Amino acid sequence: MIEQLGNGLLLGVIIALGSVALSLLYGVTRIVNFAHGEIIALGAVMTLFFSSSPDSSLLFFDRYSPIGINFFGSIVISIILCGIFGASLEIFLFRPLRKNNFGNIAVLVVTIGLSIFLRHIYLLFASAKPSSFILELQRREDYFGIQLTPRNVQVLVLGFIVMILVGLFLTYTKTGKAMRAVRDSSDLASVTGINSDYIILVTWIFSSMLAGFTGIIQGVINNVRWNMGFLILLLIFAGTVLGGIGTSFGAMFGGFVIGVLVQLSVGLEFMDGHTEAKNALALGLMILILLIRPQGIFGTKDRIS
Amino acid sequence: MSNNILSVNSLTKSFGGLEAVNVENFQINSNEITSLIGPNGAGKTTFFDLITRFQDADSGSIFFKNKNVSKTNSYMLARLGMVRTFQLTRVFDRMTVYENMQFAGSSIKNEGFLNSLFNKTSLRKDEGNLIEKIDDTLKMLNLYEMRNAYARELSGGQKKLLELGRSLMKDPEILLLDEPLAGVNPKLADNILEIITNLNAKGINILMVEHNINAVMKISDRVVVMAEGKIISDGKPDFVRSDKKVIEAYLGSSDE
Amino acid sequence: MNKYITASLLLLGCIAYIFLSNDTGSARVFVNLITFAGVYGLAAIGINVHFGWTGLLNFGHAAFMGIGAYTTVLLIPHSLGREGVIISTGLPLPIAIIFGLIASALLGLLLGLPTLRLRGDYLAIVTIAAAEIFRLLVRDFENLTGGVYGIIQFSDSLQVYRPNFVDVISTKYDVSSAQLWVAILTWISIVLVIIILSRLQKSPWGRALRAVREDEDAVRALGKNAVWLKLQSFMLGAAIGGLSGIFLVFNYGTVQASTFVPVLTFYIWAALILGGVGSLGGPALGAIIFWVIIAGTDSISRLLFESPDGQQLAGVRFVIVGLLIMLFMIFRPSGILGKKEELLLDVK
Repeated sequence: MIEQLGNGLLLGVIIALGSVALSLLYGVTRIVNFAHGEIIALGAVMTLFFSSSPDSSLLFFDRYSPIGINFFGSIVISIILCGIFGASLEIFLFRPLRKNNFGNIAVLVVTIGLSIFLRHIYLLFASAKPSSFILELQRREDYFGIQLTPRNVQVLVLGFIVMILVGLFLTYTKTGKAMRAVRDSSDLASVTGINSDYIILVTWIFSSMLAGFTGIIQGVINNVRWNMGFLILLLIFAGTVLGGIGTSFGAMFGGFVIGVLVQLSVGLEFMDGHTEAKNALALGLMILILLIRPQGIFGTKDRIS
Repeated sequence: MSNNILSVNSLTKSFGGLEAVNVENFQINSNEITSLIGPNGAGKTTFFDLITRFQDADSGSIFFKNKNVSKTNSYMLARLGMVRTFQLTRVFDRMTVYENMQFAGSSIKNEGFLNSLFNKTSLRKDEGNLIEKIDDTLKMLNLYEMRNAYARELSGGQKKLLELGRSLMKDPEILLLDEPLAGVNPKLADNILEIITNLNAKGINILMVEHNINAVMKISDRVVVMAEGKIISDGKPDFVRSDKKVIEAYLGSSDE
Repeated sequence: MNKYITASLLLLGCIAYIFLSNDTGSARVFVNLITFAGVYGLAAIGINVHFGWTGLLNFGHAAFMGIGAYTTVLLIPHSLGREGVIISTGLPLPIAIIFGLIASALLGLLLGLPTLRLRGDYLAIVTIAAAEIFRLLVRDFENLTGGVYGIIQFSDSLQVYRPNFVDVISTKYDVSSAQLWVAILTWISIVLVIIILSRLQKSPWGRALRAVREDEDAVRALGKNAVWLKLQSFMLGAAIGGLSGIFLVFNYGTVQASTFVPVLTFYIWAALILGGVGSLGGPALGAIIFWVIIAGTDSISRLLFESPDGQQLAGVRFVIVGLLIMLFMIFRPSGILGKKEELLLDVK
């Protein structure tokens, strides 16, 4: 089981970051964004597109040959593009829906449509085969008994730093505080003069950039696939529910726990030969949590009914 | 035993450290119109929600007809005879006035899946028996002419009446009305007050939250004043009117 | 009335399209399409009971369809795909189907119990997760489900009931008699289910569901158990989904892990939203139009790509499905046959 701990930490960081982005957006806009996974995938697909060498037709059609720029440059551009993409979604899709009094349920169905649409756009532009960033191969080394490559360690540290930065941003900056105020009560926020349209826009950008970053580290750790977002989204839901929907720190914690648990379960004896079922276990856990403590570990009861 | 129909002990509820309700002791005596008044944010609606079990209290107990109902489901309480209305009227907009009344009146048994599927004779008979009761109630509320209109087409005051009428289909022993006069024009308000008085004369206990003080003083047998989650005064309208604590609470006295 | 004229014209247009765009074997294409449309229509009617009648978001319909189908198939004579183990004994098909429907309804109960007390979006999350769990378990527990190799040789249980006239027609028009039989049974089921549902809709039970959809608090204040009503609706829609799943596998003649994948649910949602949420016949009509559109998207693929492979065909199909769901939900949420007065757009 311990040999899975390294993988568990990595998956934990991915899901924790994805969960906090989803949860923040949910908290501020009340949108359960089923297209969240596709924004995650967008970060990875974009980075792959920018960083792969131009002569590789491995992933993209000849018509869209990769650009082949520096890997870190690609990451920065991709994250910015994810932010712009999130902003356009809000401005051209979700804000008009909000102004026309679309209820949460109708908007949820729209995000489902959006998710299917985007995912298959990726499928058309990229191949169905998983693909990797061009990075040198590294051997796993031993860190306090946990097997990880040096790059994995860097990603872990970076992931934790980003999580801390997100926490600091929400707690200490004016915008972060305003986001939390809108989350806790949009009526109250509008009374106190917070421009909720602006805050919602900032939240979309912030959440989408964070999602894009999540996708990129997922791509570094594993690989890039057209449907990577959908697969991880379900685990992110599980993490968010475990931590308590609408709570940023709870989501981070819940996501991390789910990631570690999913990987550790691979080492369990009864899971022998059933590696596919590890995700089923996490999702089953989520349903169980809803049965016994629906508000999650850190959530409050009035948010759930 | 005691002749109170509803009794509440040490009921508390807090939201994030803010104490919304803290009621030591409260009873409704049989066959009275009791009004609950107080400044905005005094916890009246939360108190209503706690009594009717629409919210869980942090601590305390509720007795209805001498039965402990502190953990009973809200819908079970309604079946036992404690029926409430809402501050923001909640009629079923996409159903007609008549269907609103039918839904309220039809029995749980008839709403059973199999009974409905096989449309038994007993079901048809029960639904038929409802017609007279619905018609009478609608006539009493001056809604009979509107019976085939969608509920969303009604005026604000008519919606209040429909909500009241729906509650009456349950044959309540106690009716909890949350601001029955809010947003209602003065003429209709007098009408609603008269209906409430008549209902009480027929033996239905009334507990209502209302901001219209004149109306409250006119029809209530007893007035209870809440401020900052606590009951600060309780008695006949004349007593409450002259109670210094009440005046202070309403004026937001700060001379301490 | 206007919308029924639109609907009939659309339907005629669809049928004309099939016959005009296929020079040879158009009857075969027609039967194939009408079978899938029937199966999806029936499944969409199930989701309509959830979403249209009760306001419940079920994005895991594939699981309800699948559990009904697997239960039924495992109870009748069948053989497992990989080793070819033949199980020649089993229950008579009608009884197996009843067990299948019960299994679907029970899964509905299982998923509904933890979530129907909570806000609506939890159900969406849990059902989508359930469909994924179902897919993973079917793949993983190969000795029961046959995994990716699936279960085969169970069709006879249905085809023994096939009356003679089906064979006569199928010989005459050169179509598969087995598929035609499934198509006929599916559409008979649709008619029966619609009759039952229209009866329920007018009943006190249906009235109570409409009330629940509008305002659960008001329902509770009137002494009705809103959670139990939602649970019943959820189980009913799940069972209808199970029935459609059974027809789906009899149409294929096999069932494997890839039959009931989560994306199946979204096809069905698209059909429902096209046809009209909340209307009785809308989902079935939507399913026919949906399949014609899907047939049309394949020609779009051929325009975009010189010789589209399966992945590109699927990609274009789903891009269109996603767009349809979004655009209809935004611009014509009542679909083709739905009632505007009963729309739920403002429900929070």
